[in-house]
Amino acid sequence: MSKNILIHLMAGATVALGIGAAQADATLDKIKARGSVSVGVILSGAPYGYLDPKTQQQQGFVIDLARSVAQQLNVKLETVAVTPPNRVQFLQQGKVDLLIANMQLTKERAEILSYVPTPYQEEGGAAITHKGSGIKKWEDLRGKVVCVSQGSNFTKPLIEEYGAQVKAHPGLPESLLALKGGSCQASVHVGGTLGLLVADNPEWKDYEVPIAGELIPSPSVIWVCKGESDFQASLDKIVRDWHRSGWLIETSRKHKLSIEPLIKQQEKVKSGKAVI
Amino acid sequence: MIESLLNAFIAAAKIIGLNYSFLLSAYERGPWLEGIGITIGLALLSIVSSLLVGIVVASLLTSGKPWLANPTRAFVELTRNTPTLVQLYCAFFVLNMLINQAVGGAQNNPLSAFAWVVIVLSLHYGAIHAEALRAGIEAVPKVTRESALSLGFSRSESLRYVELPLAMRFALPSLVNNLVNLVKSTALGSAIAVGEVTYASLMIWTQRDNVLELMIFIFLVYGILTLLVARAGSWLETHLRMPGYGH
Repeated sequence: MSKNILIHLMAGATVALGIGAAQADATLDKIKARGSVSVGVILSGAPYGYLDPKTQQQQGFVIDLARSVAQQLNVKLETVAVTPPNRVQFLQQGKVDLLIANMQLTKERAEILSYVPTPYQEEGGAAITHKGSGIKKWEDLRGKVVCVSQGSNFTKPLIEEYGAQVKAHPGLPESLLALKGGSCQASVHVGGTLGLLVADNPEWKDYEVPIAGELIPSPSVIWVCKGESDFQASLDKIVRDWHRSGWLIETSRKHKLSIEPLIKQQEKVKSGKAVI
Repeated sequence: MIESLLNAFIAAAKIIGLNYSFLLSAYERGPWLEGIGITIGLALLSIVSSLLVGIVVASLLTSGKPWLANPTRAFVELTRNTPTLVQLYCAFFVLNMLINQAVGGAQNNPLSAFAWVVIVLSLHYGAIHAEALRAGIEAVPKVTRESALSLGFSRSESLRYVELPLAMRFALPSLVNNLVNLVKSTALGSAIAVGEVTYASLMIWTQRDNVLELMIFIFLVYGILTLLVARAGSWLETHLRMPGYGH
């Protein structure tokens, strides 16, 4: 008897979720009606997103992209800071309309969310280690303790391909603290952040990014809720305009991000082809 | 056999819209099952050592010697009045780093993240147990203590053989309450990447987004563990009951 009630309740919940999904494509209308777009951004540090210590304003590459999205949609921008472990829930629960949060395209993510088909960058993992650690290539991480952020897409390749012992901390600051404290021998995060850290932060002068190639370089894309094809299409138009006008390369250069993948992406956009 | 049971469970769960397919991937199932073991290990070690800390701190607090009681009081206040998560961060990121520097590298430091969780939880809950025990010790009638002293027990013998056994009985309900909280606090280990069950679940749901499914499992794991602690507590209460004394 009670089992039946449970099944009915569950069925009810499933139906309710189904209805929610069917109405979800109204996001674009919702944004226009509200007059603002809510963008989930990651504030994990320069150059992607960070708080300017002087002005307390959000700055960085993803913030510039979010500003441009709001401008092109002709609405006000609201940014919501997300972290890798909570960003998918924030999007699915409607707390944010889209994610520009350093989230690369993976097969698993594409099953549960939709993404804007034209990417805005390409990012792979880099490892930061203490100078003289003897780590020179990804294979050298076998058996070593490697710190990442919880939710990082580098976890799987590090464990399965390179046999590292992965410890996932709540975020980038904790992972880097653990590296400094000696609890891990390397810390693996997106290349852009680590490159900047060792290049011009005196606190990190004893550390280096010793491995030449990036770990699973993948396109960074804007994520939206599953099945929102209208919203997806209008965002895709915006991203293609960024490529066509050269604004994206300009902005990446401003934030000292690598522009080589962008040049290739731009060529494809200009010839009207799909980038991925 | 196990494989076919698993498949049946996954198929049944799918009917009500729950996706438990992670159970088929050894890469995810292994660490998750291990996580349950680590949670149990953390809970058992912290329960035993927090009780030991509690007894020591309570004896110091009620020793009647200001040079022992006052610093202990300061420790209790500091530990009780700051969040356990902050203490854990402070221990793991600051103290652990200082220890690493002092012993010349992490490879010489025997304290793992697991050990730090046990240490922090034992000290934190030890301080809270001590307050419960102190209440118990103070509930021992003055005449009982005086009788013990007049029979030739020293202050510490009286504490050990007369007051603590009685205090333990008075304090048992609040001690069990503290221990239930302690079991739940082992989830803090996830903040410093200790592979207990919350961390293991988080590692799966950040990749597969099956939050609801894993939440149900996590609730069950903690629910069963805390139920066992509460049951053990009420068994002890009946077992230790002295007819005609207290309740």
